[in-house]
Amino acid sequence: MKKTPLFILLALFICSCSKDDANDIPTSIPDKEARLYAGGKTTIFANTSFSFDNPATNLNAANLAIHLAGDMQFEQAFVTAPAVINPGLGAQFNNTSCISCHPKDGRAGFPNDINTRSGFFLRTSIPGTDAHGGPNPTPGFGGQLQNHAIYGKQAEVKFTITYQDLPVHFKDGTTVILKKPIYGVTDTYIPMPSNAMFSPRIGPPVYGLGLLEAITEADLLKKEDLLDSDEDEISGKANRVWDPVSKTHKIGRFGWKGGAPSVMVQSAGAYHGDMGLTSPLFPNEADAGQTNGSPLEQAAPEISQEILDQIEVYCQTLAVPAARNLDDPAVVLGFQLFEDANCIACHTPKHITGVIKGIPAISNQTIYPYTDLLLHDMGDDLADNRPEFLADGNEWQTRPLWGIGLTNLVNGHTNFLHDGRARNLEEAILWHGGEAKKSQEYYLDLNKKERAALLAFLAAI
Amino acid sequence: MKNYNSLAKIAFLTVLSIQLISCEDDDPTPVVAEISYSEHLKNITDNVIVETYTDLANKAGILLNEVTDFKANRTVSNYDEAKQAWRDSRAPWEQSEGFLFGPVDTDGVDPAIDAWPVNEVDLNNVLASSDVLNESYIESAIDEIKGFHTIEYLLWSVDGNKQLEDFTDREFDYLIAATENLKNRTQQLADAWTSSYANILKTAGNNSVFVSQKSALETLVAGLIAIADEVGTGKIEDPLNGNSGSADQTKEESRFSHNSKTDFSNNIKSISNIYNGTYFVDGKGLSDIIKVDNSDLDAEFNQALIDAIQAIDNIPGTFTTAIVSNRAQVTNAQNKVLAVLDLLESQIAPVIKKI
Repeated sequence: MKKTPLFILLALFICSCSKDDANDIPTSIPDKEARLYAGGKTTIFANTSFSFDNPATNLNAANLAIHLAGDMQFEQAFVTAPAVINPGLGAQFNNTSCISCHPKDGRAGFPNDINTRSGFFLRTSIPGTDAHGGPNPTPGFGGQLQNHAIYGKQAEVKFTITYQDLPVHFKDGTTVILKKPIYGVTDTYIPMPSNAMFSPRIGPPVYGLGLLEAITEADLLKKEDLLDSDEDEISGKANRVWDPVSKTHKIGRFGWKGGAPSVMVQSAGAYHGDMGLTSPLFPNEADAGQTNGSPLEQAAPEISQEILDQIEVYCQTLAVPAARNLDDPAVVLGFQLFEDANCIACHTPKHITGVIKGIPAISNQTIYPYTDLLLHDMGDDLADNRPEFLADGNEWQTRPLWGIGLTNLVNGHTNFLHDGRARNLEEAILWHGGEAKKSQEYYLDLNKKERAALLAFLAAI
Repeated sequence: MKNYNSLAKIAFLTVLSIQLISCEDDDPTPVVAEISYSEHLKNITDNVIVETYTDLANKAGILLNEVTDFKANRTVSNYDEAKQAWRDSRAPWEQSEGFLFGPVDTDGVDPAIDAWPVNEVDLNNVLASSDVLNESYIESAIDEIKGFHTIEYLLWSVDGNKQLEDFTDREFDYLIAATENLKNRTQQLADAWTSSYANILKTAGNNSVFVSQKSALETLVAGLIAIADEVGTGKIEDPLNGNSGSADQTKEESRFSHNSKTDFSNNIKSISNIYNGTYFVDGKGLSDIIKVDNSDLDAEFNQALIDAIQAIDNIPGTFTTAIVSNRAQVTNAQNKVLAVLDLLESQIAPVIKKI
C-alpha cells in the first residue's frame, strides 16, 4: 500500500503530457512556408514596434504613390472650421484623426478613463430598421454616440462603465476572473430614448484589409452554414449590408459585426461618425439638425473623393507582418491544439484572394488571416444585444488573427475583442461562448503547458 | 520488497526525467551562444533615449519658469527669453523623434505635446470665454489646443509678428496652463522610461515585449527610418511641393516661430544620436555594430548625416520664405535627407536584419 502513491504520481506524470501521446503531434507545422508569408507577397518581415505601418512589399510604383499620400492623410488631425488646414471637425466627434484610434495602424488600447479621447465609442439604435435594413437610428443621437464636441457645443453623451466579475475555472483548478464591462451614458444633451441600445466598439488594426476585401464572395459563401447542416453547432452567416456606393446590398466584411461592405465605406463611415467629417459618400453631417450639432444644409464635402481614394488604397495595401517562431516546438504543439480545439472552424487559416482591380499586389495571394469573415453567435456574455443588418444581438464577425502576437510590441497593450475587454489573449479565448463554447471548453480542459502552447501559436501567427 | 521498491523508484525517476525532458524540450530556450548587444542597448537606452527625455522635461520646466516670469514682468527681454525657452525645449523633442515608439506612442504623449495643426477656432473661443484656465483644464481639452504648437501660436501668433502689447491676460493664463501641462506630460514620458520601459528595451530577449535583442535593434532602426522618411517626404515635401508641385506655406509645421530648419536638423541629429550612441556622453551605438560588418558603410552614413544637417542649415533665411524663393537649396536639403533614408533602408537595416 505504501507504494501506491508512487504509481499514482507516475500515472499523473504520464497523463500530464497525454496530448502529445494521444494525437500525432507533427514535428513541424504543415505548409509552414506558406503560413510564414501570412499576407502572401505583401508580407513584411519586421519584428519591431513599427510592424503594422509598412506598405505591402510588392506594391507597384503607382499604387505606392497613392499609398504614401494616404499615409499622410491617415495622420492628419482635424480642427474646427473655418481653418486653413483640415477644417470640419465635429460638431460632435469621438476623436480627431484616423491614427488616434488606430495607433501605428494597430489596435487601440482600452482607455483608463472611458471619456478620454480614445479608440472606444458606443454605437446606438432603437428597435426596428432603417430604410435599407440597417440599424434604426436613435432619435436625436443617430447611429453613434459622440462623447466630445467642438468648443461651445455640448457632447451628445458621456459614457459610463461598471464591471461585473465573471469567474472562469480551468479543469486543473486554476481560476481566472473576467471583468464584464457594463456600459451606460450620462450627461446626455437631451434625454436618451429609453429603448436605445448601445454597442461598444474599439479601433482594430488596419493592415491586410485589402487582402480581406479581395477574398471572393464564392469563397466566403462556401463556408456559410445558416442551418448548421453539418451539425457541428457552428453556423456561420455572411452579413448583407447596404453599400452607399453601388446603392445595393453587399456582403458585409468590415466592422466588428461586418456592417460595412468595403474598406471605402468603412473609412468614409469613420470620417463621418468618429470625426464628424462629410464626404461624397456621407454628404450630411452625422449630427445634422441636432440642437448641439451641425446645420441641416451642408456645404461642399469636408473630405474629397480624392482623399477617400487615398485612404482606401492606404488601408488596402498595408503589409501583413510575417509569422514568427514557427519552428518552436511549443508553437507546433499549439498549432495542433488550435486544430483539435476546432478554432479553425471559424478562424479559417487560409484563403486565396481574388482580384482587386488596379491593385495587383493584393490580388491572387495565398494568405493566412485565420478568419472566415462570417457572423457567429458568441454567447450572452459577449453579446451587445443590438442587431446590425443580418447580425443579431449575439453575433460578431470572426476576427483575423494574423499579427496579433505583435500587439504588445507595437501598441503596448494586450486588450482584445470588440471593446478591448479582454486583458490578454487567454482572456480573449475565455470570452468565447455560443458557437465557440465547445472550443472554449476544450481550452479549459488543457493543462498549463498546453495552454501556453496554444497561446504561443497565437503569438506566432 | 526492498528490491522491488528501489526498482520502482528507479523506474519512477527514469520516467520522471524522461517526462521532464519531453516537456522541457518545448521551452524555446536558445542553446547557441549569441553575440550580446546588451552594451549597445544599455547605452542607447540610458545615455541617449532617457537622457533626451530627461533633458526635454527639464527644458519644459525652464519654459514654464520663463513664461511665468514673462507674465509677472511683461518686458521685451522676458518675452525674448520665453521665446528662446520654447526653442530650447523644442530641440530635445525634435531630437527624440528618431525613437517614436514605446510610451511616447502608447501613452498618447506624442499627440498631446506635438499636435498639429492648432485648432485656432476652439482656442480663440476658449480665450474669449470665462472658463477657468488651469492645467487640468488643458489636460482634459483636445490635443489640438495644447502642446508645443499651441504654445508657439500664443507666443508668436499666426504671422510670427506678435508684439508685447498684443498679449491679453487670458492669453497669459492659457500660456502658463498649457506650459504646465507640457511640463507634466514630458515628465510623465521621462518617468515612464525610467520606471519601466528603459528596462524592457535593455533586457530585450528576456521579456515578453522584445523577444530578442535583434527585435529591439530592428525597432531602433525602424524608428530612424520613420523620421528620415517623415522629414524627407513629409515635413519638407508637403510645404515645398504640396500645392500641386509648388509651395504651400500653410503646411509648414513650426511656421509661427520660423523654427522649421532647426526642427529638421534636430530630427537628423536624433538619427545620429541613436546611431552613434551619443547625447551628452558618447557610448556604444548602432555604429559599433555596422562598423564590424562594413566600416566603409559606417563612414559613408555618418558623412550622409553631416551633409544632411549642413544642407538644412544652409537653406537661406526662413524655411517659410525659402520654399518660395530658394527652392533649389530646399530641394538639395531634401535630397540629402532622402540619401540618409536610402542608406538606412537599403544598407543599415539589412546589416541589422542578419545579425
